Amino acid sequence: MTGRARARARGRPPGQETAIPSVGAASYAVSSVAAGKVAPNYCRFNRLCQVSHPAVGNLSSRMFLHQYQKNLVAVDDRGALRVFNKARMGEGQKIGLQISAGFQELSLADRGGRRRDFHDLGVNTRQAIEHVQESKTGSSGIMIKLTTNYFRLTSRPQWALYQYHVGYSPEMEARRLRSALLFQHEQLIGKTHAFDGSILFLPKKLGNKVTEVFSRTRNGEDVKITITLTNELPPTSPTCLQFYNIIFRRLLKMLNLQQIGRNYYNPSDPISIPNHRLMVWPGFTSSILQYEESIMLCTDVSHKVLRSETVLDFMYSLYYQVEEQRFRDACAKELIGLIVLTKYNNRTYRVDDIDWDANPQCTFRKADGSEISYVDYYKRQYNQEITDLNQPVLISQSRRKRGTMMPGPVVLIPELCFLTGLTEKMRNDFNMMKDLAVHTRLPPEQRQREIGRLIDYIRKDDNVQKELRDWGLSFDSNLLSFTGRVVQGEKILQSGNFDYNPQFADWSKETRGAPLICAKPLDNWLLIYTRRNYDIANTLLQNLFKVTPSMGIRMNKATMIEVDDRTEAYLRVLQQSITPDTNIAVCVLSSSRKDKYDAIKKYLCTDCPIPSQCVIARSLSKPQTAMAIATKIALQMNCKMGGELWSVEIPLKQVMVVGIDCYHDTLSGKQSIAGFVASLNQTMTRWFSRCAVQSRGQELVDGLKACLQTALRDWFKWNKYLPSRIIVYRDGVGDGQLNTLVNYEVPQFLDCLKSVGKDYNPRLTVIVVKKRVNTRFFAQSGGALKNPPPGTVVDVEVTRPEWYDFFIVSQAVRNGCVAPTHYNVIYDTSKLKPDHVQRLTYKLCHMYYNWSGVIRVPAPCQYAHKLAFLVGQSVHREPNLLLSDRLYYL
Amino acid sequence: MDKNFQEQFTGIIKFTPPLYKQRYQFIKDLVGKYKPKKVADLGCADCTLLWMLKFCNCIEVLAGLDICASVMKEKMHRLSPLPGDYLQPAERSLTVTLHHGSVAHKDPCMLGFDLVTCIELIEHLEQSELKKFPEVVFGFMAPSIVVISTPNSEFNPLLPGVTLFRHPDHKFEWNRAQFQSWALEAARRYDYSVEFTGVGHPLTGMEKVGFCTQIGVFVRKYPQTTESAQSEKPTEAVYKMVFKAVYPSLKDEKYLQNAVVSEVIFTAQIIKQSLLDRLMSEHEEYNDDPTERKSKFQPSMNCFSEDLGKPLVEKSMEPFVNGNVVYIPLTTILSFPKVNRLCGTFEKLRKLIAGKVTLSSDGSAVMFDTEHENEEN
Repeated sequence: MTGRARARARGRPPGQETAIPSVGAASYAVSSVAAGKVAPNYCRFNRLCQVSHPAVGNLSSRMFLHQYQKNLVAVDDRGALRVFNKARMGEGQKIGLQISAGFQELSLADRGGRRRDFHDLGVNTRQAIEHVQESKTGSSGIMIKLTTNYFRLTSRPQWALYQYHVGYSPEMEARRLRSALLFQHEQLIGKTHAFDGSILFLPKKLGNKVTEVFSRTRNGEDVKITITLTNELPPTSPTCLQFYNIIFRRLLKMLNLQQIGRNYYNPSDPISIPNHRLMVWPGFTSSILQYEESIMLCTDVSHKVLRSETVLDFMYSLYYQVEEQRFRDACAKELIGLIVLTKYNNRTYRVDDIDWDANPQCTFRKADGSEISYVDYYKRQYNQEITDLNQPVLISQSRRKRGTMMPGPVVLIPELCFLTGLTEKMRNDFNMMKDLAVHTRLPPEQRQREIGRLIDYIRKDDNVQKELRDWGLSFDSNLLSFTGRVVQGEKILQSGNFDYNPQFADWSKETRGAPLICAKPLDNWLLIYTRRNYDIANTLLQNLFKVTPSMGIRMNKATMIEVDDRTEAYLRVLQQSITPDTNIAVCVLSSSRKDKYDAIKKYLCTDCPIPSQCVIARSLSKPQTAMAIATKIALQMNCKMGGELWSVEIPLKQVMVVGIDCYHDTLSGKQSIAGFVASLNQTMTRWFSRCAVQSRGQELVDGLKACLQTALRDWFKWNKYLPSRIIVYRDGVGDGQLNTLVNYEVPQFLDCLKSVGKDYNPRLTVIVVKKRVNTRFFAQSGGALKNPPPGTVVDVEVTRPEWYDFFIVSQAVRNGCVAPTHYNVIYDTSKLKPDHVQRLTYKLCHMYYNWSGVIRVPAPCQYAHKLAFLVGQSVHREPNLLLSDRLYYL
Repeated sequence: MDKNFQEQFTGIIKFTPPLYKQRYQFIKDLVGKYKPKKVADLGCADCTLLWMLKFCNCIEVLAGLDICASVMKEKMHRLSPLPGDYLQPAERSLTVTLHHGSVAHKDPCMLGFDLVTCIELIEHLEQSELKKFPEVVFGFMAPSIVVISTPNSEFNPLLPGVTLFRHPDHKFEWNRAQFQSWALEAARRYDYSVEFTGVGHPLTGMEKVGFCTQIGVFVRKYPQTTESAQSEKPTEAVYKMVFKAVYPSLKDEKYLQNAVVSEVIFTAQIIKQSLLDRLMSEHEEYNDDPTERKSKFQPSMNCFSEDLGKPLVEKSMEPFVNGNVVYIPLTTILSFPKVNRLCGTFEKLRKLIAGKVTLSSDGSAVMFDTEHENEEN
């Protein structure tokens, strides 16, 4: 049976009840679908781990993620609790580093029994890093007063959480019945409780360790219930913290905010952007966690982009835009991977496939065995009329248990699904993003005001206040203030030292026309264009002649080749004209059509490995920006050919810096690509780049091992010795994946280093880089709040006590709030002082050659991202290794 | 009898679908038949019936009442509007409220309903409450239709394990005669007619015990003159409202305006794009000389700048380009079915989009700048 046929056979609309699986079995299913971008990221990761690795023995990786957790507790949004006891332990503990403790703790999750630990609670990596036991703070820089979007809990429940086991005699099977019987004794238990059918959590201690009560069933049967105290969880335990989170989310619900994915939004005052059929709902993210000094609520403004069109509307408008024969492909391309929201309930699904052979008149088998068509089902169940009976259906592979539903394909009707989020096409639409940014990019002052509004709402709502009082919770009404540091700005070294205004984190003006550190000549190169763009190509050539001399780039006239505006024509010309001496091929493209670009890149990255530069004609057409663009292109071409632009002072010797980032192919859903970039020289101006293409059934980390090995070999070729330190910046780690990284990926790196040689024992540092954080910092200047300046480092208050982590604001933004980047050192035998790690990290943010300014992440991460993106989007297989010593993917 | 299919399997009677679902379906069918606008569910418990009823398009007011606030609160949020309700506001308006209180008390919030349902409610009432119940429901609330369901005790011997009552909280369980005499008496006193039915058939051969759940459907005999009926009613509120949700509806000016503005701008964008594409392709056919383009646009500009300009535009349904501005007549936009359905008339359209959409000086056409479109991409 094909996948599609299987989906049809098993497919059913959501909400349709099926048999309830046993609780124990379901507890292994790690949830994956959540709205927003994080979800696909995570799904893929799940898949990466699916095949068991020799080191893990027979454990499936899904289990692996949780194998340390003895008890998994799930609390859904109503506070009902589910507890899963884990018997399987042992095997997993042998592998990995013994650096994670706290896994014995309980973990709670919300809604639908998702047990994903979004906050990576219980992953204690700091305790294994000796030199930061005392302090993990840096020292350099000048002090700066900061505020942040955190609120202290001023009072919190003094109660511990008491865990009871509840037994029934005679044994009762149904969970519902067990609850009903127990809660006949609400007077004893109290109104605040959480119960999953066998484990009961109470905020108070019952009089006796063992309590026996009697209930009577509907059938008049007397049942003895034995409630036995089994555990006492202190108020600081992660379980209690997660309880606070659940309480807080309840409050948001009471404020009539709508839950979408993980966050809560206010639907009553939407911002509508009719040009693009978009609707933006303002809302909030919230999380309560134990931070460095105290337990705090971190809340940030969040915007949910919703679309007031259904999937069917979207399909229709697409139908008019593309040719008939391309329509299905176009739909697949635009829709697969998107999150849709169903009209009739508040659920989100990821579109995994479109079944063109099915339609709403198809039938499915209900739980009771009867056949019903989708049209009838939705009519009967939700009074939803399906008007278009010829539409295809969407397939969503539900990877987790939803209520009573088993994981498996879910059939959705396009007419009944709204689109959410933005498609790739929309993200690339400059005007749309501009229109959106007006509403979503809030400057610091405004952002602070919006955050304050949430606290206001909470204070003014009587019900919410009462709920808070009942639980004994209260929050500080002011944002947390503390002191951060701004480290010294870096000098840019490029044929002299350049100072620039660190406020703007940009030196394009200062270094314009300055000779490059290492310029590669353009002796023999191709310039390919269509007839219409002859003038544009010619102007580009003239402009390049004007800008290159001052940079020190020697340039001959290009071989100018005119082609038809067809992909094959470009490819034929490339085949015919490229010689072993060709430095680079420059193609002027008449449109941003992706297929042409993809074909050129694929050919020149794999079959015929030479650097290439594609330019869209329109970007060259404006006379006023022509020179600036020619300058940029010259710089980019130089990098692609292996040239170097600038450097910063790097005092650390014999260190290899590695950047890793992942690209997940949402379209075909088959490949994940890890970009791997490692420095080759002391000044970190030359990089080794390779990527690991991971198809289904392969471990990503195997590819990374191979990358690391070749990188070390190349380093040796360049330097005649091996690096004594290796610092890995690992980007592309989703929420809740830290555990896997610590226990799986890091040991693999160590293994790999061991295999290099007996005496080779370099120091390894692994730093997890996270761009998507809810933390925002505001600098107080005068009476106003501003973005903190680039170079702001925060390693106190809002960091986590169990981690060796810090924040750096490295970039400057023109509008909106700057987002700090979070760095978490999960493994470190370097003995480097925290201050040095912070400074090095900040320095590396200056080294991305495609932007003459400071960026958000260390350059190797951004290079790795670029590489993975190019391969994932256009090349689809591993590029030729002959290119690996150049930044050909810029 | 497919629906009430049941089986005797090792002595356990199972209803398929479950009996509670059959009771709810009974109410849903009734709603489908009578199309009441205002429906109240007394003893709404966890609001399941209300949740099912909120999908019924005829209902504009839904109210629930229960003596236990916590059971209502547990799942009340599923009565809130969904994101989809905001994204595409419905034509009908809908308000859902939940009240905490007793059916033994009168509260004006329960007046004026078309249908009042009491599913498995009366058997939970104490003697004193049951006594007041008919006066409150039939006398005070006085809806057009009342539905009361309660267990039929004659069926109990067929239910395994049921010794006294089906639920420990039941204060009584009546046989058919008891229920019917109580119901007929109430109907007689308050001028209702009543019909008896039920859900949950017994097995073949046991038909004589009747339905598992017995149901009385009461219909008021005379349409009440609301004036006189309400004049003597107390106005003091005794119920406590625990939940209220007002669904977005196109009846609300705010949502209607939003919907119209979005639809107008979206429609206009489509027209603009197709116009520009057409002009573009025409112009590419000629040659690449940009002056050509200008002259192509000249005619429409001329006819606009002439004295006749305004009436011409009014008459014309054709969108046109003038310099950097695209004009799309409102009449063209109104001819699109979606816009038309929302506002109907030209005047209403103009009124709704006033101040929200950039219009030409005479207010007859939507204006768009072509420039910023080509700026960047």
